[in-house]
Amino acid sequence: MAKGAKKGAEDDSGEFAEFMADISHEIAKRVESLDPTPKTNPVQKKEATPVPDAGVIREWANIADRMIEEMG
Amino acid sequence: MSVVNYGTREITCKIVYYGPGRSGKTTNLQHVYSQLPEERKGKMVSLATETDRTLFFDFLPLDLGTISGFATRFQLYTVPGQVYYAATRKLVLQGVDGVVFVADSQSRQLAENIESLQDLHANLADEGLDPRALPLVMQYNKRDLPPAEISTVEELDETLNFRAVPYFAANAINGGGVFETLRSIASMVLGRLSAPAPKGS
Repeated sequence: MAKGAKKGAEDDSGEFAEFMADISHEIAKRVESLDPTPKTNPVQKKEATPVPDAGVIREWANIADRMIEEMG
Repeated sequence: MSVVNYGTREITCKIVYYGPGRSGKTTNLQHVYSQLPEERKGKMVSLATETDRTLFFDFLPLDLGTISGFATRFQLYTVPGQVYYAATRKLVLQGVDGVVFVADSQSRQLAENIESLQDLHANLADEGLDPRALPLVMQYNKRDLPPAEISTVEELDETLNFRAVPYFAANAINGGGVFETLRSIASMVLGRLSAPAPKGS
């Protein structure tokens, strides 16, 4: 339910307009500085650190074998 | 958290009016609502008891339209000031971007102001928010009361405003200081706007 609007806008009608002006200015500043779109620099790929056995896919018949293997 | 979303081109910020019971939080929102142009007037939701005190919370969505290409929305909330509605206050504080602390200037209400401020800090900490970092504005309300009944702004500021954040003298019932307060907190919140985190992060 709307409880407000009791006092009416009378001579304060400019308050919201002033508020809007300030907010618009603030947002314009922020939006410009945050806009992520015009990024032309290609993202540099991080070189992967060589890992021993990288790319080797090992298979274990069951989880017990794998545990024994890894603990071993 | 407030987010400027470049995908949907939306900005949404949540501001909570906090303070002891009967300090004038709902009155702040009512004044803002009364000043909105008809085309922007959504619904102000107030859940009040029979004695007209806020039972759960007030909610005023401020749809500001498209600004710089972004649909901009402020969500203004109040919390119930009474001590026994602690759970509701915690709930309303979730995802808050900025707080207006509405203090009652009456000298006899000083202890309630302090208690409410401590409650705010405790609840923010529970939410994982740093009470020292969150945008905060102090409003010393009811400045229209006889001087003998109210503390001076300086006294209130010295007692309550240990973070030295912006503060405003107000008499919300007549609209005094209401928009100044809102402008200040909105500006602070917007100053911290961040782009949305990438999905999956």
